[in-house]
Amino acid sequence: MKFTCEKNAFAREISFAQEVIASKNALSIMSNVLLEAEEGTLVLKATDIKVSFETRIPVETAEPGAITVFCDKLSGILASIPEGDIEVTEDNGKVVVKPTFKKVRFQIKTIASEKFPELPAAAEDIFFSIPAKILKDMIEQVVFAVSEDETRYFMNGVYFERADDGLVMVATDGRRLAYIHKQINTELPRFKSVIIPPKVLSLVMKRAPDEGLIAIAVTEKNIFFRFGSYLVSSVLIEGQFPNYQKVIPEHQQSSIMVKRSELIEALKRVSIFIDQKSNRAFFNLSGGTLLLSSDESELGTAREELPCRYDGPDVRLALNHKYIEEPLKAIQEESVLIEFTEPSRAITLSPDPKGDFFHIVMPMQAD
Amino acid sequence: MSRVAFHVDLDAFFASVEQLDNPRLCGQPVVVGAAPGRRGVVSTCSYEARAYGIHSAMPIAEAYRRCPEAVFLPVRMSRYAEMSERVMAIFSEFSPELCQVSIDEAFLDMSGTERLFGPPAEAAAALKAAVRARTGLGISVGVATNRYVAKIASGLKKPDGLVVVEPGREAEFMRALPLSKLWGAGGKTQERFAELGIRSVADLADMSELSLASLFGRAGGRFLYEASHGRDPGIFRAEAESRSMSAERTFERDVLSRETLESLLLELADELCYRLWKEGYVSRCVFIKLRFEDFTTITRRLSRDECYRCASEVFHDACGLLAASWDGRPAVRLLGLGFGGLESALNARQGELFAHGDERKRRAEEAVFEIARRGRGRLTRARLVRGGAHGAERSDGADGSEEGRWRRG
Repeated sequence: MKFTCEKNAFAREISFAQEVIASKNALSIMSNVLLEAEEGTLVLKATDIKVSFETRIPVETAEPGAITVFCDKLSGILASIPEGDIEVTEDNGKVVVKPTFKKVRFQIKTIASEKFPELPAAAEDIFFSIPAKILKDMIEQVVFAVSEDETRYFMNGVYFERADDGLVMVATDGRRLAYIHKQINTELPRFKSVIIPPKVLSLVMKRAPDEGLIAIAVTEKNIFFRFGSYLVSSVLIEGQFPNYQKVIPEHQQSSIMVKRSELIEALKRVSIFIDQKSNRAFFNLSGGTLLLSSDESELGTAREELPCRYDGPDVRLALNHKYIEEPLKAIQEESVLIEFTEPSRAITLSPDPKGDFFHIVMPMQAD
Repeated sequence: MSRVAFHVDLDAFFASVEQLDNPRLCGQPVVVGAAPGRRGVVSTCSYEARAYGIHSAMPIAEAYRRCPEAVFLPVRMSRYAEMSERVMAIFSEFSPELCQVSIDEAFLDMSGTERLFGPPAEAAAALKAAVRARTGLGISVGVATNRYVAKIASGLKKPDGLVVVEPGREAEFMRALPLSKLWGAGGKTQERFAELGIRSVADLADMSELSLASLFGRAGGRFLYEASHGRDPGIFRAEAESRSMSAERTFERDVLSRETLESLLLELADELCYRLWKEGYVSRCVFIKLRFEDFTTITRRLSRDECYRCASEVFHDACGLLAASWDGRPAVRLLGLGFGGLESALNARQGELFAHGDERKRRAEEAVFEIARRGRGRLTRARLVRGGAHGAERSDGADGSEEGRWRRG
């Protein structure tokens, strides 16, 4: 195998591969990236068994062939050499990388391409396309709410389902929940609802462009995303996602309207004194004032007043400040609504005016 | 004015209580623990028995081999608890700042008590005399400006010891110690010392915190750095950062049956949940400990976001840990279960979105606990009725709360 290509283009794909691989164990085939030189094209593949990635870039192929290379070192080499063309040669299981304009030569450990696992594939006819912007908005609005508690593996991913008129994503860790429903105007195929691990979603967030379309395919065990020259896939989480509809309050009695950026800033200041174990912040409402405060500890206490629109009776809510801050950062609108019925029941956080998403947060004990 | 910390340790506590209750045992080697010829370990032994090389946690068979003529006695935990309470009451007369670490060990903050009890050495002597006169038990006291050094000092001249480390002499005191006395550096760390050619506490103290961190990890390095300079590395705070609670049993015969192990896990889960509930704690972390026939010992732990709410949940996760770490071989000699990272049940509780199917189980358990707490007897699960966990012995007296199951004779 022998090909020549532009270093930067190659380096970009190798760094994507390295992100997928994550492992740095030089003995494992899973730490290697598969390089397949065909006529005019180089195919690259990488996997960590769960998440897989495949792409192709134009190269000048002098001799077709395939080999897997220890990705960590390959990416180190590419990062260290200046821009320009490089030549990659494989001979008898040895891969040599050298810039065409410099007297430096790297030889890297390889494993035969036959040892590389077969990556999952989906039939062409089950792919459907939606605007990349819509998919990325959906992911951004929910992915932070995924649980990291491995004993609740079925909450370790984003629930993805087809609604009558579009797509829904939900994520929860059992204490808060994020929901988004996007209308899609084109015809969507039926597919079963699935739970998607966050790693593949963050790769899509990072690598997919905001413009254009992303093609999605859902099979029994995997989900696929295709954009540009990339195909990324992930094994799905098996298990029963909790019945989330049951915990979404149908209507709430009271509502507070507050400026999003003011609330974020105030929470940031008050959080200096918030107990790091419980994360509890108090929201005291009285007339048109929201008083944020921390627990009183021997270290001190923080309070901040900010104006809000609220005309209900005086009330005190206790909330994990992270469960408020995270959605606030994902929301773009200038104002937000916090709706509740009583201090011990779930609150709803949404933009004002309401849109296609909202966040549900279970309060903490207030005393 | 510098702080004055006392660490007080009851000498050979269980054995001393036995000698106190039965004066004929005085001057004789006494071993409290499992029955010879059965499984289990030495819980405590008298100083006479220690002369034969017997020590706590030694397999009982080994203790018997070393000294067959010793008097072997079962653990009478309720009697020791009673004596412990009396001793702790005396301690609290000397200082309101009493922190009991275990049944036979406590820290006393004696800062600012000079006008009452005199200089620390005099106060310590008075404390020793008071305990001896009013309970007949011996104690060893370590005095220093911090708890860590006091703890080490109390262990140096047992029994009936008193070691005072003068303010400002802590680092010097530590440098003179052999590595084996460095409390908190266990077997693995000691092996690593040997590998690295570190032969004394002075060697450690001469290393920079950075190099210790690179050799022992950030937390480990920091600990060794502080400890070797005679500063409290912070393990004896009044509220320990990470308290745990555990119970374990050694089997009569090594066990190969998963069902037997699971039955014991259920029994231990019940017992621990009761203790947790009674002492007002909650936990999100459970661990199991397995010792195999060849004495290799492993622990496996699991943490989750939500506090455990009932014994069935603990049992379920403990069985999962067992399944993941043991495939039916090798035979199991000892099985333990514990909670890590105890938190006060009064801490701010986070509400849950999804209702739990086990809410009824939890309430049933609380009712059973309440009955036990009021001394109206102990209800137990049907699965545990017949002989419970099949001949398992409580092996660690300090951890159990009832009497040993074998009788004298």
